[in-house]
Amino acid sequence: MDYKGDIFYIEQILAGNINAFSYIVDRHKNKAYNLSFRICGNHEVAEELTQDSFLKAYRSLRNFKMKSSFATWLYRIVYNTTISYVRIKKKGVLSLEDFPADATDFIGNSTSEEEAEREYRNSLINFALQKINDEERGLISLFYYEEMSTDEISDVTGISKSNIKVKLFRARQKMIEIIEKVEKKKLIYHE
Amino acid sequence: MNNNEKNKEDILRQYISVEKIEKAPEGFTSKVMTRVMLETIPSMAAERRWKRYLVPVISACVTVLLIVSAFLIPAGQSDAPATSVIKFFKSITASMPEVSLSSIFHLTIPSVTMYVIVGIFILTLFDRALYGIFKR
Repeated sequence: MDYKGDIFYIEQILAGNINAFSYIVDRHKNKAYNLSFRICGNHEVAEELTQDSFLKAYRSLRNFKMKSSFATWLYRIVYNTTISYVRIKKKGVLSLEDFPADATDFIGNSTSEEEAEREYRNSLINFALQKINDEERGLISLFYYEEMSTDEISDVTGISKSNIKVKLFRARQKMIEIIEKVEKKKLIYHE
Repeated sequence: MNNNEKNKEDILRQYISVEKIEKAPEGFTSKVMTRVMLETIPSMAAERRWKRYLVPVISACVTVLLIVSAFLIPAGQSDAPATSVIKFFKSITASMPEVSLSSIFHLTIPSVTMYVIVGIFILTLFDRALYGIFKR
């Protein structure tokens, strides 16, 4: 299939071809879902929120200014939808005891030790993400997973570039502290 | 960024692998499209209903207007508001070119035929124009 830009499909949708929206969804679903999941930390909720975000994007497609990036516009919707949700549904604080101490705990679901180690690291990052606040979680996701620049993050979140740098610095520090604590716990567990 | 900060970022990067992004579940696109369709169908139906009633409503309005105006214009009263308009239409004398088809087809065609053909042509144009407007 020929590669066509988002603008091509958006024009098709605005001309009445609703099915063209499926190309847009297919193209952006994984990154949008990942962003929502990293912020809310729950697969079912992330799916629901990402679907809602796509629907919101579809409804307000006429308001989208073709000059800007569609991806940035869509991530702004996903970010705001998820942040609004998690702010309403505040969860209880996770304790370090909630996290498995070792990669061997993940071996049952993995094919190799290496895979188990990757799963362990991924879960540890998810755990650390859930320990920082909603906004910081969003910023970390956009910076590390979506690999956005601080300029792009500023477009998505509406936070100033300098403020993003400060918030990212704090979030990074908090996450490292959490990771180090878990890793220490792992050492004690092995002794 | 100072060394300490760089070091922290490196540690975090060790744990975060971009390949490990959480992918949307199976059937995600079709679920979104179902919701989009569900949202679109009622609005399309409402639009179609509106378009279906528009032409009869306009015709009814025009008919009512004509009936009302017929009552409002008294016969023979020269100072009535619409009299000058009626007079203008009455003064128009349409004439059509005389075509002698009988000499070509050896048929006797009534003289009104040309008027009928032109009438059909005008109505067709009118119909196309209306179709163009309401289709949009």
